[in-house]
Amino acid sequence: MAYILDFGTPVNTALLIYILYSVQKIVFPSTSIPKTIPSEFKHGYSWMPKEHPPTVLFKTYTPKTLEPFSGKDGGRILLAINSIVFDVTAGRNFYGPDGMYGNFAGRDASRGMAKQSFDLDMLTAVDQPLDKLQDLRSDEIENMKGWIDHFSNKYVICGKLVENDAA
Amino acid sequence: MTISDYLVTDDLTVLLGFIGVSVFLLQNLYKPQPLVHPILLGRQSDAGRVRHSGESAVYRNYGTGLMGRFPVRPDKDVNVVTDFVKPEFDAPRTLWSTKITNAQLKARVSAFGSGIATLVPEGSTVLILLNDCIEFVITDLALSEQSIASITLSSPKLLARVLEMHPPDAIITDNTFLPHVSQAARDARNNHKLIVVDFLPPRFSETARVMYSWQEVESLGKVPQTPKNAPQPGSAYTVSFFETPSGGMRCVQLSHENFTSGVTAIKALFPAAINLSTLDTIVSSHSLSTPYGRAIAYAALFEGASFATLPSTSVYRDGDAPALDVADILSVTKFPIPSPTVLFLKPEHVQSLTSSVTDRAKKSSFIFPLAWRHKFAGLTEGFLTKDSLWDRTVFGSAREDVLGKMADTVKAIVISGGLLPSDVLVPARLALSIPLINTYTHGSATGPLFATHAFDLQMLPSSSPAAEPAHAGAPSVNVEAKLVGVNDSVVEKGADPIGEILVRGPSVGNMLAADGEAGEKNAWVHTGEMARVMTNGAFKVLGSI
Repeated sequence: MAYILDFGTPVNTALLIYILYSVQKIVFPSTSIPKTIPSEFKHGYSWMPKEHPPTVLFKTYTPKTLEPFSGKDGGRILLAINSIVFDVTAGRNFYGPDGMYGNFAGRDASRGMAKQSFDLDMLTAVDQPLDKLQDLRSDEIENMKGWIDHFSNKYVICGKLVENDAA
Repeated sequence: MTISDYLVTDDLTVLLGFIGVSVFLLQNLYKPQPLVHPILLGRQSDAGRVRHSGESAVYRNYGTGLMGRFPVRPDKDVNVVTDFVKPEFDAPRTLWSTKITNAQLKARVSAFGSGIATLVPEGSTVLILLNDCIEFVITDLALSEQSIASITLSSPKLLARVLEMHPPDAIITDNTFLPHVSQAARDARNNHKLIVVDFLPPRFSETARVMYSWQEVESLGKVPQTPKNAPQPGSAYTVSFFETPSGGMRCVQLSHENFTSGVTAIKALFPAAINLSTLDTIVSSHSLSTPYGRAIAYAALFEGASFATLPSTSVYRDGDAPALDVADILSVTKFPIPSPTVLFLKPEHVQSLTSSVTDRAKKSSFIFPLAWRHKFAGLTEGFLTKDSLWDRTVFGSAREDVLGKMADTVKAIVISGGLLPSDVLVPARLALSIPLINTYTHGSATGPLFATHAFDLQMLPSSSPAAEPAHAGAPSVNVEAKLVGVNDSVVEKGADPIGEILVRGPSVGNMLAADGEAGEKNAWVHTGEMARVMTNGAFKVLGSI
């Protein structure tokens, strides 16, 4: 033993110190718990994500408050069918300002969905009362309901649309 | 001396080098692997993307998903409650003290059903005031087959109110509770038939009441009578009254589908490595008069497992309730059942068990601190086993001293019926070294509403300055939950939502109003308890409002 601890053979001493340290770690393992919970699973077993998954608050919109959400400023894109407001930001290619159906962004698209048309005359102006859809045929109403199902599966329902003075 | 003089190596260096390398490999490669990958514990429930003002989003189990359909039956052929007794399974198993095969059980059920059909007409109601025994199960299955509604109470204090508001056509009770029943019935001026388990008391003279013994009713049914309409899965067949913490009474109507969904949820608590099978023996501390307790019994029936309940489940008794402790658990060994493998206990049982085992281990072994330290180090990595070196030297013998033969066979414990304090969780895991599944149940649901992953060993400190109970995990496979009364401004900033729990799903029954009016189907049920949702989707139940 003295032969090793004699600093004439530092390599042996270093190895011995390393072995003693490792054996001590194995026989007396560390039981410290980190003070802050890790936010990644790589940093520890008892971890928690930093944030909740994002949720959108269900809001009541009027034609005037819905209109800004047309994606022109790079923000959210909303569109309404039959007084149900959908968040179609994920479909920016279709409903964004340069998309094929960009006319519908921020507006009530019920008539256009029913009549399968994207013309501007399908939309009512924002200061007018909501389109009552009374003159639509029953197959057009069915078509609109089909579109509502499609949108419900693909996009998030994030609000409802009411008259301008009802909010 | 030159550098080369310092770096002199010899045979001893080679030896030390070998030892050093092997120690290094041992330390780095022998790390314990977690039982479940931590990435799965970071996303336990699927959260809705939209929430209404004052509410949280709707949460569902991650495995079910927001778009998925809820599983409602454990097997495609199980539609009504009597289907739980599978006819093709013919090995006997022990229910409390009776060894019985499925065929014999079915025969007794139809005999009792036919017998009681001669006494009360179809469409009447029967009040069951029995403690847990095989007669309860036979009665329940028989009444469901004959489309006769049954009523159960979770506490004897509700008897007077129920007799007043919903007078039954017959009451089934046992000898010890018979005087109370007669007194209460006299006060409510009821006119009904009485059926008594065990023997009829000799000098019991009742003028306006007709009494039969249970065995008599069973023998009346020698001629089988099939009911006019076969029971439908969606039709309600039993009503359960339970007490709220504030002393009020609530009433829930349960259908066959509620119970098949409840059994599905209970089976889903156990992952494939420890799932329920015919080799199991299930012991429950939840009374059959509660929907959850009955669903546990049905799960045992369905799996062909033996089943018994603890003495503390008796609702109708003279004297005080027995304490929920180790002696209660051990008293199940007086039944001739095989050694229990799965225990459904209350938090008080687990607390008592943990402290007994830990005290025993501390007293009997001087290497207890080292053993504790090693197991704790494994726990921080997510690893726990019953067969480690430390269990064989220290904890195994302590468990055997406390639990007897049960210590070897118990493979999982499900904790429900209360809030488990978080400072009990780590000692319980280390002392018992088996999966502990913490769940949250409610008097309105047949299955657990929230349940933790069986192999979840995370140690998460409390998020608020006060000590919070242990978390109850994600919503069960066929339940969706949301919180109401939530502070919007706090949640929009990213804090945890805290509010009252509302649940919905096939295992949650239909709540009735005080006068017996049924609510709309599939409505959200207010549980009356507060909870907080954590960022990983697990719910922490905080207590009553």
